[in-house]
Formats: sequence, C-alpha cells, structure tokens
Amino acid sequence: MQITLENVTHTYQPGSPFQATAIRNVNMTVNPGEFLALIGHTGSGKSTLAQHLNGLLKPTEGRVLLDGQDIHEKGCDKKEVRRKVGLVFQYPEHQLFEETVAKDVAFGPKNLGLSAGETDARVREALEKVGLNYDDMAERSPFELSGGQMRRVAIAGVLAMRPECLVLDEPAAGLDPQSREEMLQLISGLHEAGSTVVMISHSMDDVARFATRAVVMEKGEAVMAGAPEEIFRHADRLVAMGLDVPKVCQLGLRLREEGLPFPEGVFREEDAAAALLSLWKEGKGHV
Amino acid sequence: MPDLIFDVQNVSFAYEEGGPLAVRSLSLQVPKGAFYAVLGQNGSGKSTLAKLMNGLYLPTEGSVSVCGMDTKDEKHTWDIRCRAGMVFQNPDNQLVATIVREDVAFGLENIGVPTEEMPGRIEQALRDVGMTEYAERAPHLLSGGQKQRVAIAGVLAMRPEAILFDESTAMLDPQGRREVLSAVKRLNRELGLTVIWITHFMEEAVDCDKVFVMHSGEIALSGTPREVFAREEALRALRLDVPPMAHLAQTLREAGMPVQDVLTVEDMVREAKRLCR
Amino acid sequence: MFDNITLGQYYPAQSVVHALDPRMKICLLVLSIVAIFLAGNLLAFVPVMAFLALACKMSRVPVKLLIRGLKPLRFILVFTFLLNLFFLQGETPLLNLGFAVIKKEALILSVHYALRLVLLVLFSSLLTLTTAPVTLTDGLERLLSPLRVIHFPAHEMAMMMTIALRFIPTLLEEADKIMKAQTARGADFESGNLIKRAKAMVPLLVPLFVSAFRRAGDLAMAMEARCYHGGEGRTRLRVLKMAKNDYLALGAMGLLIACVVLLSRVY
Repeated sequence: MQITLENVTHTYQPGSPFQATAIRNVNMTVNPGEFLALIGHTGSGKSTLAQHLNGLLKPTEGRVLLDGQDIHEKGCDKKEVRRKVGLVFQYPEHQLFEETVAKDVAFGPKNLGLSAGETDARVREALEKVGLNYDDMAERSPFELSGGQMRRVAIAGVLAMRPECLVLDEPAAGLDPQSREEMLQLISGLHEAGSTVVMISHSMDDVARFATRAVVMEKGEAVMAGAPEEIFRHADRLVAMGLDVPKVCQLGLRLREEGLPFPEGVFREEDAAAALLSLWKEGKGHV
Repeated sequence: MPDLIFDVQNVSFAYEEGGPLAVRSLSLQVPKGAFYAVLGQNGSGKSTLAKLMNGLYLPTEGSVSVCGMDTKDEKHTWDIRCRAGMVFQNPDNQLVATIVREDVAFGLENIGVPTEEMPGRIEQALRDVGMTEYAERAPHLLSGGQKQRVAIAGVLAMRPEAILFDESTAMLDPQGRREVLSAVKRLNRELGLTVIWITHFMEEAVDCDKVFVMHSGEIALSGTPREVFAREEALRALRLDVPPMAHLAQTLREAGMPVQDVLTVEDMVREAKRLCR
Repeated sequence: MFDNITLGQYYPAQSVVHALDPRMKICLLVLSIVAIFLAGNLLAFVPVMAFLALACKMSRVPVKLLIRGLKPLRFILVFTFLLNLFFLQGETPLLNLGFAVIKKEALILSVHYALRLVLLVLFSSLLTLTTAPVTLTDGLERLLSPLRVIHFPAHEMAMMMTIALRFIPTLLEEADKIMKAQTARGADFESGNLIKRAKAMVPLLVPLFVSAFRRAGDLAMAMEARCYHGGEGRTRLRVLKMAKNDYLALGAMGLLIACVVLLSRVY
C-alpha cells in the first residue's frame, strides 16, 4: 500500500485571526514496506503531517492518495482508510478508557463491526504482537499497569485493526532507557514482519538505527528526504537547523575538522568502530 | 567539611505502613554548590528520594535534614521548602497562574513576601532563566522547555539554596532538554545554586560532580561520571544505558584499541588524535 | 488546535472601562441590575439603554460583539415573549388571531420583560468583555473576603477559579487529541441518535477525567512544594486600588438609578 501526498498545505482556523499554516506544499510518498522516519523540531509540522496520512485532517490544499485514490473524494470510505493506516498518537496510554485490557484493545475491531469471535482473535494477536501475554493481561485494568505496559496496550489497540501501515508519533517519548529500547525493538520487529512504519522521532540515534528512509521537516516544509546515509551526510545542515545528529555523526564531523581521514556518511556505531580501528591500525603501520 | 545542604541519614520510606520500601537505608550528603545527578530506571525510587529531600514525604525511618533543619519538625516545613525548591516532570501540571509573571509570584505570595518587593524578585528570576520577554504570556502558549524555565523562575524567586529537579526533562524534546539543562548548569555555576538532577537520560549526567545510580530503593553505584560510566556491565545489569561514546570506546577496547576515559564526543576526538596519528 | 482560545469573551483593549477596578465593575453590574428592576415602565428603560450605549462606546468593544452575547438566549427570549404575549391578562384587545386575542397590556408587559432580560445579559456581557477573567476573580475574592468571618471560603473559591482558567485550554487541547486518537481507532462521534452519541462519548470522557485527576494530583504536589498553605498570611502581587474614575462611574450609576426611579413615578 502506498500513501502519496501531493502539494499538501494545511492551515488551522483559516480566515480567523488565529490562522496558522502548519504545513506547506508537502510532496512525499510512503512506500510499501519501508520504515520512514519523520524528523524535525516541535512545531515543524510533523504531527500535522501524520494526521493527514489517515485522513484525520483534511488538507486545505492538495491531495492525499491511498493507492492512487484521493481519500477525501466522495465515495472513499474514511473508516477503511483509518483501518489501513493505523495512527498511534504521542503518549497513547492517555487514551485508554476500558475496564480491562482486552476490552480496550477490542475497541477498534468492534468499531469495524467484527464478530465477537473475530474480535477476540484480533485482541489475542495484537497483544502477542506487542509482547504481552493474553492470559496474564486480558482481564487486568489498563490503569494499574506500568507506563511501558500501558503504552504497549495502547499500541495493541491500533494493531488490532490490522493496519497495513503504522504511523507512530514519538513512540518512545517519556520512557526510561530499558522500556525505550524494548519499544524500539518492538516497532522494528513489526517492520520486519512486513508492516510499513512511519515514525516521528526526535532521536537521531534511533533514526540512524532503524529507518530505511527519512524526511526532514522544517517550518512546515519537507526540506530533505532520503536514506539515512544521505541525510546524515549533510549532518552540518541538520545542525544548522538546530536538530540533533547521531553522536557518531558528531564524532565524524569533529574528527574531519581535526584533519583525520574519517569517512563521511558513517552514522552507525559499528561502522564508526570499524573506521576508527582501521585508522588506528594504519597509524600503527606508519610507526 | 563544607556546609551541607542536604543530609540524608539511613532513610527508609514506604508509601503504606508495612508496605514495600521505595527507599531503603539510604544515606547521602550534598554540600553547598554541588551538582549531583541521580540516575535510575522507573520505579528505582529516585523520585521518592527527591520528595523526601524537601519534606513532601517524611521518612519512615532515619532522618533528612535540609540546611540543618529536620524535615520531620513541622515548624520548619515552609522554611525547608523555601530553601529546597523543586521542579517536576510535567511542565503543564505545575504552573498555577494564567500569566507567566503571576505564576512566578505564586511562591512569593505564599510565603508572604511584601508586595513592593515582588516585582524586583520576579524580574530577576525571569532574567536568570532567560524568560524576561515572556513575562506577560499565557503559560499554555509556551513550549515545554519554556514552561520548565518558568517553573524554575518560580522557585528561584523564592531565593532557594538548592533546587531538586525531578525528571524535569523527561517530557521535553531535545531542544527543550538542552535549553533547560544549560539554564540549570549556568545557575549552578554563576549563582552557586545546589542542584540535584534526577533523570534517566545518561548523557545529562556527564558533566555533573557526582552520579548516584539507584536501584530498588538503594544506591547501587556512585562516583564521578567517569568512574560510574566506566562500569558498563554494572550499568547494563541495572537496566541502564551507557552514553554512546562510552559504548563505542568499550567496543574499541574489546578490539584492542587502547582508548581511555571516554564519555563525550570530545573525549573520543582526543583519544583518536592521540592514537591514530 | 485550541491554542488561541480566549476563555469567556474578554476583549482586550485600552479603555477607561477596562481600567476600572474590577470590584467597582462588579458593584456597578449589581447596581445596574437594580436599576433594570426598578424600571416601572418602558420609558424608564431609555436612560438605562443610554447608559449602556455610552459605556459600550467608552469601552471600545464593538457593538456586534456585545450583541453576540444574546445569541445563546434567542430561543428563550422568543419563547418567553410569545408565552407572555398570549397568556398575560389585559383589557384592551389589539389583534384577534382567531385562536387567541392579543391584548395591549400584555404586549407592553411582554416587551418590558423581554427588554429586562436583554439588558441584564448585555450588562453582564459588558463586564466580562472588559475584564480579564483573572482580574474578575481577583475582584470577586476581595469583595467576598469580608465573608470569611462567617467561614465563607472566598480565597479558596478564587484559587479554584484561577486554576480552572489556567487548565481549561490545556484540557480542551487534550480533549481534541483524545477525540482524534479514538477516531483513528474507528470511533464515531458524529452520527447516530442521542443515546448512541452519548455512549460514543465514553471513550473521550474517561481518559479526559483520568488525565484531569492526574493533573490535579501533580498540581497539588507542586503547589505544596511552593509553600502553598491556603489564604492565611498570603500577600499579593497585584493590589487593587480605587481611582477617581471608579468614583465617577459610581456617581454616574447613582444618577442613572435616580433617573429610572423618577421616570417610573412620573408615568
């Protein structure tokens, strides 16, 4: 499944004194099976953009196409769009509301009008996907779980609709290092199992580790797009935008400044280790 | 021995009587002007410790004294909270007033500072955190980092000796985190403010004087950042991260490259220059 | 996006009316209500309306904005007007509609009652349009503080209002986000009958309440850490002070009441 944004502009409260354009003329495509990272400052329009992917927001100008069909055209089933493109908001655990975990996860499938049996199967499958044991969790109140567990339940609530594309807004925000790592592994696992993933993230280190492609937003516009190698090759541009770059990129920039022949485009730790080791061995060779 | 701001002696704390201990026989001394970081995963007891240190919670066993005053002594309660202010995690849930400068005034009003004295103290506090131009704004229109700086100003106006930061950057984006941390570092350096920095971001602890790693209510590791972060395996066992450069250094050492004492990018640059030339 | 929501309907401007002491403005509102009720005939409303028009002009609030305050009341207004028109007693028939006869006295009284309601609303609107909610809260607290003697919690009430004002935008924003998140899971807030719609609100209201309670807990802790311990021994950043204009306004109001009483007698 492919999502295409064509010249999408979104203005909040147009015509009012509070009018504000959040994204402007954005063209981008989410390709099937990719892990796309959306990067940018708070207020750069990432979240607004994400809400266009499943039709929650309607572009003020431009079109959003799902497999070539305009999702805001008459005759396009919005519910089906929202099923296909699952959107997980920031701090999704703040949207839990049911008495039990199972009921909460079942909310989506029920809204799809699925039978009780099918719903139950979906709930089991979704909880399993987020690494929670159905028998342990199903009857517990979602409000007595730990923060990390609550977030998993919330994500299961979206997965239970069997989306083809999963859009996550800052899925690791506010978690401690261990839960963070588990959350990222979980998302990476979903991607490997065939889901298309779009992840909004502030952490360039996470983008470097997991994304297959990244789009950089600045002031409502998509200013860079490409594989992490390409994006991080322009680490200086990211820095100029006030964005973080992976620590390894910072190291590369600094080493080259100091005149060491550290290769460009290195952004993963293992690559940096290899590069440093070969520099070191060369150095020893000269002595 | 320098002046002690906090003196935590063998403190244990349980939320309910007879319930599990969130903090167990913990001792900690904090001298004036120190910048100490307390690390730990969620549920390790680090937030509880912070709340014990300004009398929001009272120890089940042991004692906590702030500038020589025992937190259990009720007549010192307000004095202690003036000396040891606190900034919390959620920037939205600690601002009270609808205008920034009135929020900064909130603490002053509570402790009965005369009206004539307030504007000066408010201006000063807002200047110290670089928020002067936002004095007349509504808090809900500010960014997370700005809200936290307003919260700091609200505490600063009360002229505290120390501020406890209870995961004050956990909900901020990287820019907001940098903003807040650099403001706090400056306050520590320039005003000699004592800082207790509670966090689960390892990198934020790199520059501080001392690091305490908590695990199930106890201090599991302590020392200078370099000492603590060198113990990668111990940290991993406590389910914590190691700063990326320390991790890279470890990988390099395992491959035989003798890098030493690396925490930050600059350390690694220094070592690379030393070894690769 | 509720970023720019202004609560209530405060219209920020620099004017003499805005600058009046909130305590005086509240008193003036009470007095204007007295004047409205003292008006014994339609003629006596003329000075009241003139006063309102003058106050509105001096406040620089657009008349359209003031009138808008009546919008939510339009059904009640029309309904009570018609009810009065048909059911009030009278002697002089004016118009025979077949199913009912409209009497002259009934018409006059209906207009009178409707006018009374309209003026009440307009005067209160003018107060909220020209006074920021925080200032209003301040004024109320000071006015009610003498009641502390009989254990009326004036300070606590004012603090509650301030906190409500501070958190309403935050909670609105949160409500918007939760609604979107549930919509993303296929929830439908817009269609169906009343019961179905009420049921559809559960996934919105439960998280909203949970969050409000969490915030309340956090805030209570933060307030305690900042030495909040009730109104006792508290000083204030802003001290309210009556000025010349406040007394002038009070004088004008006195004059208005005198006019109203006079006109009510004369007729």
